[in-house]
Amino acid sequence: MKKTLTRVAAALTLAVGLSGAASATECIAPANPGGGWDFTCRTVSKIMFDLGIVPEPIQVTNMAGAGGGLAFAHVVTERNTDEDLFVAASSATATRLAQGAYGGMNADMVRWPASLGADPGVLVVAADSPWKSLSDMVEAVKADPASVTFAGGSAAGGFDHLKVLMALRRGGFDDIRAVKYISLDGGADALTQVIGGHAQVMTGDMSEVVGFLKAGKVRVLAVLNEDRVPGFEDIPTAKEQGFDVVAVNWRGFYLPGGISDAAYDKWVERLMKVAESDAWAEAMAANGLAPFPKFGADFETWVRGNIEEIRALSKEIGVIQ
Amino acid sequence: MDILSNLALGFSVALSPFTLMLAVVGCFLGTIIGALPGLGPSNGVAILIPLAFTMGLDATAALVLMTSVYYGAMYGGRISSILLNIPGDEPALMTTLDGYPMARQGRAGDALVLSGVASFVGAFLATIGLMLLAPLLAEVAFLFGPPEYFALYALAFATLGGLASRNQAKAALAAFIGLGISTIGLDNSTGMPRYTGGNLHLMDGIDFLVAIVGLFAVSEVFVFIERHGVGSAVGVRLGRVTVPFRDILHSGWSMLRATVIGFFAGVLPGAGASLGSFLAYTAEKAIARDGDSFGTGNPKGVAAPEAGNNAAAGGALVPMLTLGVPGSGTTAVLLALLMTLNITPGPTLFTERPEVVWGLIAALLIANFVLLVMNVPMVKLFVRILSVPAGVLLPMVTMVSFAGIYSISGSWFDLILMVAFGVVGWLFRKLDVPTVPIILGILLGGHMEASLRRAMVVSGGDWTYLFSSPIAVGLWIAAVAGFIAPMFLRGLIRRREAPEVVTDGD
Amino acid sequence: MTRSDRIFGLVVTLGALAYVAGALGIQTSFISDPLGPRAFPMLVGAGAALSGLAIMLRPDAEPDWPPVREFTRIGVATAVLVGYALALQPWGYLVPTAIAAAILSWMIDPRPVRALLTGIGLSVGLYLVFRHALGLGLQPFPRGFF
Repeated sequence: MKKTLTRVAAALTLAVGLSGAASATECIAPANPGGGWDFTCRTVSKIMFDLGIVPEPIQVTNMAGAGGGLAFAHVVTERNTDEDLFVAASSATATRLAQGAYGGMNADMVRWPASLGADPGVLVVAADSPWKSLSDMVEAVKADPASVTFAGGSAAGGFDHLKVLMALRRGGFDDIRAVKYISLDGGADALTQVIGGHAQVMTGDMSEVVGFLKAGKVRVLAVLNEDRVPGFEDIPTAKEQGFDVVAVNWRGFYLPGGISDAAYDKWVERLMKVAESDAWAEAMAANGLAPFPKFGADFETWVRGNIEEIRALSKEIGVIQ
Repeated sequence: MDILSNLALGFSVALSPFTLMLAVVGCFLGTIIGALPGLGPSNGVAILIPLAFTMGLDATAALVLMTSVYYGAMYGGRISSILLNIPGDEPALMTTLDGYPMARQGRAGDALVLSGVASFVGAFLATIGLMLLAPLLAEVAFLFGPPEYFALYALAFATLGGLASRNQAKAALAAFIGLGISTIGLDNSTGMPRYTGGNLHLMDGIDFLVAIVGLFAVSEVFVFIERHGVGSAVGVRLGRVTVPFRDILHSGWSMLRATVIGFFAGVLPGAGASLGSFLAYTAEKAIARDGDSFGTGNPKGVAAPEAGNNAAAGGALVPMLTLGVPGSGTTAVLLALLMTLNITPGPTLFTERPEVVWGLIAALLIANFVLLVMNVPMVKLFVRILSVPAGVLLPMVTMVSFAGIYSISGSWFDLILMVAFGVVGWLFRKLDVPTVPIILGILLGGHMEASLRRAMVVSGGDWTYLFSSPIAVGLWIAAVAGFIAPMFLRGLIRRREAPEVVTDGD
Repeated sequence: MTRSDRIFGLVVTLGALAYVAGALGIQTSFISDPLGPRAFPMLVGAGAALSGLAIMLRPDAEPDWPPVREFTRIGVATAVLVGYALALQPWGYLVPTAIAAAILSWMIDPRPVRALLTGIGLSVGLYLVFRHALGLGLQPFPRGFF
């Protein structure tokens, strides 16, 4: 009992001491807890501390708002030279930047150090659905677009919606305004609607469906990746079914735009160490992420290309003018 | 028996002198956080997550600490509701309606003890429900599509009429104001800004915490400035603190019914605890023989919402654990905690990680007993707050509200907004416009609109889809009944005691 | 006299109509749901306008408004709180909190010494509680002061 008391006392002293110095290193997750950005921040921050890459625990701050826009504006206007700050980003960030949804701010206002993994897109139906392949689904939409409702976690015109439109377009269905899409508060919520029969197809990320897949409640029609995902080899890609659609949700970070090159390099190095760690490999496997290591200048170039690609696609489909 | 052996597994994981200490610490911190206006269970858990990591706690210990904070905050919210007429957090909103009048009658201690017991009953039975029924209940979430959700929210607003005793138009107006406020921000389904004037601070809408603190806490300050602090001790007389066995026995059935309603409201992802306590209160008011004394300090009006919101807190864990769908702000934070601990909630959690699930359930039971034991002696301490003179107490409440909102959002904009809500709250009090429906509108408006629009997408604009399932029709019938019943009853009562009782001018 | 409610009802009705007019100005996206982002605000605005009319037509008894002097005091209190909100970021937590709390305390109950002590006590006490017991980030003094 005395030992317990000492432990609690020690822990409390430690907590008080640390909270005094809590302003050290910070990771901003530009959304509420529970989503992809939050996962990225928390997992990477924990690994960094566990491996001793940073001396004290990293403070994770949730700054939800405007689909990441509030955090982006905050970093650009108020924290532009803060070298101890990194912010979780993903394809959703790129999509919003591409569609000009951050109120005129663009990707050059921040720096892009690394992406660590990628969450391949998936199209999912309930286990009792009559459709076995992607073409079954596309044919059903062609026959009667009003009979198929798609459910996803992003807003209309967002990344989850684009995945559906891309797949249908490759399948020869062009009347995108006839496609029914409902946006829910996240992938799990969208899946619930599909399993309950209120919508027919869920569009989202692999990590969002892993639990339901293992429980046998859903069937993945196609994974929108170049190759089949390790650990889920029995799920066919869209490509091998004849639909040339690749849509991965990469998970990475951005940094304030005004930091020194030395600080930028330090972050690239830190994130590289995380990417190589066993702990990250485990976290990826547990969450259905595929490796997607891109660092430094490579990643900067790649992000710009990715944004351009999404912009072109959004224009082609008509989401933006 | 299977459940017993599972529970034994849970307790073997979660029960040790160290975790018991954590539970005590967590319950205490949670109660304080819940009682402070501006800080609720979700920020409480979010604030203390770093603490769990800096202490280097393992998964189970972290869960025990966080669930204690969660339940502690759920218990704590009622304290400021009853003593100050300021809800400590949004689920405690309904407790102000009868809790504060009770306190003004010198029964603050009774109200606190009674609500503590009601909280325990609600939370304890909900935990049992979670234990026995979670995998089964997960199926309930599948039954609720867009039309069913819309009908559920319609039910909540239809029963508002029963809440306001005087001017129906003013209650309706308040609800519409809340709904209107909920439309500010980025439109969820098209991503287009609405009523933001291009201001980034408004893109994410107006936080209900800002509205609650402004409408209840800041406006209270204005009332006191106007009165020069007359009626000190916030108008509450101190009474002796005893256990009000009679009230507890009398409201026993209320607690049980409220628990059932709250638990199911919690199971449905959406509004969680607030909807649970609201529906529990209006249902209790509708069926109670002394229903018209609700709002004037009826002990059942204290017991029902407290049992309801705590049961909903337990119910909200069902979709979080079994589907990975967080039904409320707090469960979203708990979900984040689990994921940082490398536990991914979902349909396989119960079979793959039984030690986590049952450890959590054991932790909930522990937290509940700790809270019950802690709360009765603590009531004496809390009631002392009322002997603080108004000139000290009200600045304190204001400064706590400011610090709470500011330390979370870090934005002066929210603070100005809070002051504006304070001024509006003061004016509305003068004009006898109830403020509770405003908060409900803000809380539920977004969900309500989203489900209506989803329903219209699915049906291609066909309104009959809203009444297309037995569940939806059942909820609509309840909504219509809930809307008409109070009018009918009021007509009856009026006829019986013809000249209407003059309400006091306060 | 029922003037207050008539004025209030009128203000509400006009406000609701302005809100509906605002709804017409909401941009809709190229791909939108059948209902769109305007319908719900318009329904809400219509409901609010009807409630406003009802309040205008069937007003309650006049509330007990305080004398004009009291309105000035409420105005001053509002100004203090707004100033406090604006001062927090540039001046840090401690000084603005002490000043604002002292003024409020004095306005509720004019005892200068107690007001002063309340201000100082609250600012230091709450800072310690929020910063150290709850671990929330509050800047005690202006940035770069120490």
